Amino acid sequence: MRRTISSICLNLGLLAVSAVTIFPFMWMLSSSFKSADEIAAVDQHLLPHLWTLANYRSIQEHFDVLRLFANSLLLSVVITAIAVYTSLLGGYVFGKYRFRGRGALFSVILATMMIPWAVVLIPRYTMFTAAGLQDSYASIVIPAAISSFGIFLMRQSMDTVPDEILEAARIDGASELYIFHRIVAPLSVNAVSALAIFQFLWVWEDYLWPYLMLTTPSKQVLAVGLTTFSGQYSTDYGGLFAATTMSIIPVVIVYVIFQKRFVAGAASAAVKG
Amino acid sequence: MITTESTPEVAAQVRPPAGSRRTPAAHGERPLRLIVVTTVVAMILALVVWPIVAALLGSLHDWNPLNGTYRWVGTANYRRLFADPVFWTSSVNTVVFMAGAIIGRVVLGMALAYAIHSPLTRAKTLHRTLLYLPTVTPLVAVAYVWRLMYNPQFGAVNSILGLDVNWLYDSRFALAAVMVMTIWKDFGFGVILYLAGLYALPADVLEAAQVDGAGSWARFRRVIWPMLRPTTLFVVVTSMIGYLQAFVQVFVLTDGGPGDATSLISYLIYQQAFVKYDFGYASAAAFVLFLGTAALTVVSFRVQNGPLRGKGQ
Repeated sequence: MRRTISSICLNLGLLAVSAVTIFPFMWMLSSSFKSADEIAAVDQHLLPHLWTLANYRSIQEHFDVLRLFANSLLLSVVITAIAVYTSLLGGYVFGKYRFRGRGALFSVILATMMIPWAVVLIPRYTMFTAAGLQDSYASIVIPAAISSFGIFLMRQSMDTVPDEILEAARIDGASELYIFHRIVAPLSVNAVSALAIFQFLWVWEDYLWPYLMLTTPSKQVLAVGLTTFSGQYSTDYGGLFAATTMSIIPVVIVYVIFQKRFVAGAASAAVKG
Repeated sequence: MITTESTPEVAAQVRPPAGSRRTPAAHGERPLRLIVVTTVVAMILALVVWPIVAALLGSLHDWNPLNGTYRWVGTANYRRLFADPVFWTSSVNTVVFMAGAIIGRVVLGMALAYAIHSPLTRAKTLHRTLLYLPTVTPLVAVAYVWRLMYNPQFGAVNSILGLDVNWLYDSRFALAAVMVMTIWKDFGFGVILYLAGLYALPADVLEAAQVDGAGSWARFRRVIWPMLRPTTLFVVVTSMIGYLQAFVQVFVLTDGGPGDATSLISYLIYQQAFVKYDFGYASAAAFVLFLGTAALTVVSFRVQNGPLRGKGQ
């Protein structure tokens, strides 16, 4: 009897917390289909009385939200591909090769994760500006091309690649790159997908660096577009709801499909840490 | 099998001829290693080490990129910084914000992980998925959602609580409002890590505690909490490093206001650098933040490895 009561309390409590957690998403989504009058009404309802696409149409007219969406998508995919490849390669070399200074260098890589962005931001900004990289996508791609976290995560996952297979392949005369592409990479598919998902999200949500480096509005990313939109059309709440929804929905879809890998990726960084 | 190890003939067969174990390295391992290590070292030097040196040098200069000033001023920027009331307000705000967000993350993370872990709980995957959702959504976007939620006219927060508060423009509530948004965004990370920690606990220890008649609170207090210490340390240290640098939520929600009520150190650095273009002063503040982060990280690891280690186990 006591067990039943505590079970009911526990499950109801968890349901309540989960409902509170996703409420802001529901509210945003439903408000993005409301008319301006309904958004500003004193009497608030969760669902719109009249569903309308006006907010989505108006943000596309006022500011080319699809263009920014495509920019974000392109940058996220390209950077994710590069960073995951270099991380896997780095993880392989640091995880499977024995060489002098390996431990020290790996500690330095770990230490760079603790450097606040604010410290390196100003010198990087002056460096990239001086190199004439402002307003080019190279300025966004270069600093993200090698990821300390990625190398760290991939080195952790190298335990799942048995040394014996590598030795056997070497004795058979396979080249290192062949071993890396045909043996190490396929065996690391779980770590690769976890890192890919996180890396995609980080590029997708990165705000300050693109804001500083990209000056042409049509080259901008969606995260920065949100803030400029909000600045220029500060009373167009419907537009803001619609633009926010557009910048969240793709990530939510990716997350719901791959949620197991997201969770595994987050946990694997910590558990073996 | 154990004895064959010591038989000389077998050992000679098993052990490869001298030097052969490393020979495959000769064709391939070295060039790849050289390329990877060189690239990593070059990137770290160019994008981390040099910027740190440049920031330290810059903090000793009057540095303004708009008019090209770069003039040695010694410690003037630091003296100005420590005399600046906004710096002190921002520091206090940062510590309060960090403490609140970390406590929220640890308490909610552990409590909800413990609840999901319980054998009485149904739909574990559903809860885990929903609770982690805010953590994986873009911060800029959810900060906008919360800005709208806090809106005094039509925001959901006032409608639900039946209040009439201008959360983001009232200096009594603004920092708390930013903290609540941050806790909502991030507690899922704590849930996932504590769940991983709970699943990794040896089942026999928990059973033994139950057999010994420990109530659920005693079990939590005496067994689970001490055994999850490494997870807690990881959550606290990563959160500290993250929250010391928190910026976007303030930028989107409050712009540091009202007054300096929600100004955090990173926001102050951003303002000084890219609104006022006082790169020297911003670099000094950034360097102080850097030293603070390093000190806190070192202290956390000392605490973990020091006299408190193993307490309660």
